[in-house]
Amino acid sequence: MQDFFELSLSAAASGCIYGLVALAYLLMIRPTGIINFAVGEWAMLGAFGGFLLLTKFEWPYPVGMAVVVALMLAVGWGTERLAVRPLMEKRAPLLAPILALLGMLVIFREAISVSFPPDPHPVPYAFEIQHQKYFIIAVSALVFAGFWFFFEKTLWGRSFEAVSLNRRAAALMGINLSRVTALSFAGGAGAAGLAGLLVSPNVSAHYLMGVPLAIQGFTALVIGGVGRVEGALLGGMLLAFAEQLTTRYAPIPSGYAQGVPLLFLMIFLLVRPTGLLRARAA
Amino acid sequence: MRKLFAALALAAFAANPYAQETIKIGVITDRVGVSKPYSEPATEGIAFGVDELNRKGGILGRKIELLIEDDQSRPDISAALARKLIDQGAVFILSMSLTPATQQQQTVTMEAKTPQMTPMNSGDTLTTQLQNPYFWQTGPLGSIQIATLLAHARSKSLKRVALITDNSDLGQLLGRFFKAGLEKSGIQVVAEEVVPRGATTAAPQMQKIRAASPDAMFMAGVLTAENVLIFKAYRELGLKLPIHSSYNLSVPIYMTVAKGLINGVTFVDAYDPEKPEVKAFEAAYRKATGKEPFNLHGYGYDGINMVAEAIRRAGSTDKEKIREAMQGLTYSGVMGAKGMKYSFPEGKRAGYDPNGMVVRVYEGDKQGKVVHVGQK
Amino acid sequence: MRLAAWLGAFAVLAALPFFLGSYHNDVYRKLLLWITLALGYNFLFGICGQVAFSHFAFYGIGAYSVVILLFQVGLPLPLAITLGVVICVALALAVAIPATRLEGFYLALVTLALAQLFIVVLNEGGAVTGGTGGIAGYRLPAVFGWRIAGPAYTVVIVFLMLATLALLLRLDGSWFGRACRAVRDNPEAAAAMGVDVARTKVIVFTLTSALAGVAGMVYAFVDNTVNPPIFGLDNAFLILFMVIVGGAGRHAGAVIGAILLFLLPFWLSPLVGHHHQLVFGLFVLAAILFQPKGLIGLWDRFSR
Repeated sequence: MQDFFELSLSAAASGCIYGLVALAYLLMIRPTGIINFAVGEWAMLGAFGGFLLLTKFEWPYPVGMAVVVALMLAVGWGTERLAVRPLMEKRAPLLAPILALLGMLVIFREAISVSFPPDPHPVPYAFEIQHQKYFIIAVSALVFAGFWFFFEKTLWGRSFEAVSLNRRAAALMGINLSRVTALSFAGGAGAAGLAGLLVSPNVSAHYLMGVPLAIQGFTALVIGGVGRVEGALLGGMLLAFAEQLTTRYAPIPSGYAQGVPLLFLMIFLLVRPTGLLRARAA
Repeated sequence: MRKLFAALALAAFAANPYAQETIKIGVITDRVGVSKPYSEPATEGIAFGVDELNRKGGILGRKIELLIEDDQSRPDISAALARKLIDQGAVFILSMSLTPATQQQQTVTMEAKTPQMTPMNSGDTLTTQLQNPYFWQTGPLGSIQIATLLAHARSKSLKRVALITDNSDLGQLLGRFFKAGLEKSGIQVVAEEVVPRGATTAAPQMQKIRAASPDAMFMAGVLTAENVLIFKAYRELGLKLPIHSSYNLSVPIYMTVAKGLINGVTFVDAYDPEKPEVKAFEAAYRKATGKEPFNLHGYGYDGINMVAEAIRRAGSTDKEKIREAMQGLTYSGVMGAKGMKYSFPEGKRAGYDPNGMVVRVYEGDKQGKVVHVGQK
Repeated sequence: MRLAAWLGAFAVLAALPFFLGSYHNDVYRKLLLWITLALGYNFLFGICGQVAFSHFAFYGIGAYSVVILLFQVGLPLPLAITLGVVICVALALAVAIPATRLEGFYLALVTLALAQLFIVVLNEGGAVTGGTGGIAGYRLPAVFGWRIAGPAYTVVIVFLMLATLALLLRLDGSWFGRACRAVRDNPEAAAAMGVDVARTKVIVFTLTSALAGVAGMVYAFVDNTVNPPIFGLDNAFLILFMVIVGGAGRHAGAVIGAILLFLLPFWLSPLVGHHHQLVFGLFVLAAILFQPKGLIGLWDRFSR
């Protein structure tokens, strides 16, 4: 029984990480419809930022964390400017920015790969190793609460929703589309970078960590649904619990245990493709 | 005027002893993919070895020219690159990338009758899956690793153990051989766990292991980040079992990335830092490059030196003669326990001496002394 | 294209391997296979608008099927090939029929999961699939007493590529091709015009997956090895890159994209050393920013 409690805590922490990555996707998909697979690499950048500032330069944790998040916001904004805005202005098909972002994925990963030695790099914990899970959960809760508040209660948040529902109508009502897009990318990068920073004390910062996180975050997004911010967190939690509980309790050889979340996902999609939580009606 | 020019050129050519054709040795390594952390230092060891050999005059009076290709850890590209090297005149190919890539290259070298060697892959099946007389493997085999670990652990009378690995191809392969070795010694494997690449925690796997109450835990995984997850979960769950690991733990990166977590972990290694050859190698490497080498460099260094020795004994760059020379070679290098020799007796092509590995222990965060040698 | 043009193209492409060294022949063969895959994927994705990541997995399913059926089960070659195709079709149907209820990136996710599941099955397959080491050391059995190898086998691959292209061109030009484009552009309108959207999607997915499977069967005898890392996930993304960079929806685009992205690492590696992946990413980004509809747009501009 104690096992179950410990495991729940661990799954909750992993769920938060997946949820943050799913949130990153969501922030960008909702106003623009663009699926940005580079979120995994953004998480990697957050992790390496943590390595540089916290391990190498030994800055105090809160300062390092704040600077990493700020840098990631800038990276997100920059990515949008470079890879997305020119294409939106040329009225390119939706596929084009998605592919441009895939190109950026390779660029980010390789830039890190050539700048650092290939081994994984340590990133320090915020407190002790045992407390990291609580820290992850606490920070994620704050982030999700913040975004929920932003979307539900603030005017800016409402304008985001408006853009998600109908871009043209929103533009006609005076909402600055390109600013919303830039902000959404900045926010997405911030969330992803934060996820990377939080998970890297455990998994270490290495240049191949992006793709698995991107896939897990995407899966969480599909489970939770694109409609609401809480959906991202819910999806992340469900995925993490499914993964970890199956590994721990299912009486099948562990090699097959990796396949179970995949099967679970496939079945889920067939039964409820729009995800668990639907968007609020306008 | 043209005749004079030609005469001068010929004279210049004849006067320059190094204008003779170089001996081309091909290297297929990984510069961008998953094998990079291991391939990069090992290839640096080769480059250092070649510099040293060329400074001493090369082989058979000719300089060695290294042709290095990057297979990006993609086995289908690997095979094409092997063909490219052969077309360019390589007389020997050193495989420094993943085990499946080395496997792919074998189909090519077998067909083209070109000698090929991997000085660091440890997959046992490389010399058994294909009967390729032109291929040798001098990396420490998984079966040797588990046998050496068990010989050391024998005194601890293990009855039930846990085995944990990752889902990489080498991790799975080592896991299979570890299990076979354990069961052959009459030890029961009560828990067999896999940590998949990209996992965020190893807690469920470690919980399962804890629930099975084994006497010890054997690690066969080769992915650094995932191994670190295992150590962290082990610490968080308050486990105290002895840990015995494959040679993957011998890579020095664990001292930084798993700080404070590996005290007391035993691992097999092919590197004895007290061996005089090792000390000499480290000093020479430090002097030539200003950087600190570690065991991975040694694999590459031994590899190129064995190739050079085989060519020397063959007396020519004829591939058949090189093959014969290599098969009959006995060589003592940097890697392995004191006094160990590589050899390929009875037509076998896996050359690492079964008694040539050592068991070492982490003392604090540092790689400690050798505590056991061989399989006795 | 007229028959004469097809025969001419076949003659030129098939004669080429006899003049190339063994390395260039190997690159040429693999290039032809990638072009074949890109053409099929272009039809599924560019013309019919279905995002799927299972294309490369079917390549692997085809390869493994034919090897297992030939050498583990011991069937004769024609039967092994036929059965291999049947397996691919059956699996494709099993995925496609329920998946027609899904749209957009949900299908993408199911096929992504399928691709990952395929690798897990291969690794855990024990003696049947050869596990993590795969299966090696086999050779194409003699056909009518004749051993096809070397440049002669490349001719087989040329034939495969041209046959695939011919088939897809034919389909594209037919009523079916128009139905596919209608499904891509506006499924509701297509349904209103009498197109059975679900059936079209299923047929396209099954057909292109089966084509990928056949290509896989041919691949199995190129390196004479099949193992899990060859069929990994990165290649699924690479096909997507190829089709989009070249120009989604255009056959010539798929060909250009495949040639460019397959050969680029080979050209870059000696030039830029281990930065070649970085240059590759920059190239892809630049290509898309410059020509969002695909590089085929450049060709169009020149031919005007």
